[in-house]
Amino acid sequence: MANRFSPWPATIFTILSVLAVLFLLPTVGVLLSSVKTTREISMGDLWSMPATLYLGNFAEVLANPSVHTYFANTLLVTLPATAISITLGAMAGYVFAKLPFRGSNTLFLIIVAGMFFPPQVILVPLFRLFNGLGLIDTLYPVIIVHSALGIPICALMMRNFFATVPNALREAAIMEGANEWQVLIQIVLPLSLPALAVLATLQFTWIWNDFLWPLIFTQSDDKRTIMIGIVNLKGQYSVAWGVQGALSLVASLPTLLVFLFFQRFFIKGMTMGAVKG
Amino acid sequence: MEQHNRFWRIALLAAPLAVFGVFVIWPLVSSFYYSVTDWNGFDPDYQFVGLSNFAKIASDRLFLQAAVNTSLWMAAAIVLPTSLGLLLALLLDSRVLGARVFKSIFYLPICLSAVIVGQIWTWIYQPDWGLLNTVITQVSGEKFKYAWLAKPDTALWSVIVAWSWQQTGLAMVIYLAGLTSIPGDLLEVAEIEGATQWQRFREVVLPLLAPSTVVVVALSVVNSLKGFDILYIMTGGGPFNSSETLAMHMYNESFKKYLMGYGAAISVVLFGVAMAIIGLYFRQLRKVDRIYG
Repeated sequence: MANRFSPWPATIFTILSVLAVLFLLPTVGVLLSSVKTTREISMGDLWSMPATLYLGNFAEVLANPSVHTYFANTLLVTLPATAISITLGAMAGYVFAKLPFRGSNTLFLIIVAGMFFPPQVILVPLFRLFNGLGLIDTLYPVIIVHSALGIPICALMMRNFFATVPNALREAAIMEGANEWQVLIQIVLPLSLPALAVLATLQFTWIWNDFLWPLIFTQSDDKRTIMIGIVNLKGQYSVAWGVQGALSLVASLPTLLVFLFFQRFFIKGMTMGAVKG
Repeated sequence: MEQHNRFWRIALLAAPLAVFGVFVIWPLVSSFYYSVTDWNGFDPDYQFVGLSNFAKIASDRLFLQAAVNTSLWMAAAIVLPTSLGLLLALLLDSRVLGARVFKSIFYLPICLSAVIVGQIWTWIYQPDWGLLNTVITQVSGEKFKYAWLAKPDTALWSVIVAWSWQQTGLAMVIYLAGLTSIPGDLLEVAEIEGATQWQRFREVVLPLLAPSTVVVVALSVVNSLKGFDILYIMTGGGPFNSSETLAMHMYNESFKKYLMGYGAAISVVLFGVAMAIIGLYFRQLRKVDRIYG
């Protein structure tokens, strides 16, 4: 193991450090701007270290009632959609892993393929459907579409994880009179906590960050989610770059925290979803 | 027993298949249906117009521009995040000091929203105080300052670079997973046999990474086809539609001009392109599996 593809540790460390600084620069810019006054920034000093720590931008953002609404709406979309997509994915994944039938592989492949299509492919009919149902400018279509579009990745990952749970466990429970639902809830799912954690972090991040679906399905300001809200508030804070920076940070905080605490699951999910897909 | 299994299959699959069928498969199929209509987005009624939407595509100058831009984006997606991701993965795989921290840094952009990435990079390209022009001015003086996002010849590429910044982390993680599956003794044997560093890379590491490369390239291309939010934020497809992609063009025609029938026709084309890529991907994956699996 000592001799992998690794010739020059010091050189590699230096190259990586330079690349890391380049990679971090864009994000650091936003951080710096958020603790500077608009005057400082407009004098051309966005990219330097701040002389004093100015917290007025954050105060401005946190006191803005629109931001509260956007945050509440985003939570109202993200939490149910994450839960529903994982539940539906687990149900489908259980059948594909433990109760396969003729044609189940093809069905599974069709569902998984749904991951790869650009959302524009289903935009027009969905708009017509929800328009007909009178649900445009509510949060329901956003929740529903995210729940449905989450099924491929959730079914894929749950199936792969369930496949590693020994069949003997299921058979023993069935012999003792348990039904499949009880096996799933009481035996298989408790063993699948890592997979559930992976999916929870992935789905939460994707749905929180989404821009397209709330853009299509909501119209009035009090129905917008945070990522749309940021764009809307740009007009209000057009030259207040510091406030814009603080706003971006506050909007990204939930996903950044998830990333920080669940990074392991996050990366695993990304590679698992990608490699097996 | 078989009866028992059949009952539970139906019971457990009913809900997920119903949701997926109604909100993904059915809209996908009806996109084809609406593509031969002139539905305008709010009237309940519409007319059938045959294939005229597709005829319009053939003569739509903006569609052509969008198709060219999408192809450029795809080509860049194959090269940029892939090569940079491979480089980072190789460097990190050497178990360098602080590898975990480096990994997090390169990976961080993935958890940011495309909206945030778009805004961050808009600031970098900002003509007056943006980072890029600030650096250029320091190095070579005022005359090379440029309005990157406001000029037709640089807008698209500026967005592609920003997008690649976010995609690179994903490529890196997939390559890292691929690298850990390469047996260490294979490299040792190669070394004992007198292979140089470069030969070991070319003859051992790179071929064994072929499955990862297929995945990385496919993901990048598929994601480039989805590229919409970041473009919407940074240029909105402008200036003068110079950075418009197919996804953006579809959105503009459907939800700005309310030509939903025409928009559906564009989405049918998008579907065809995505289908071709996915088919190619599954075939490559199987081929690679046969050789190395």
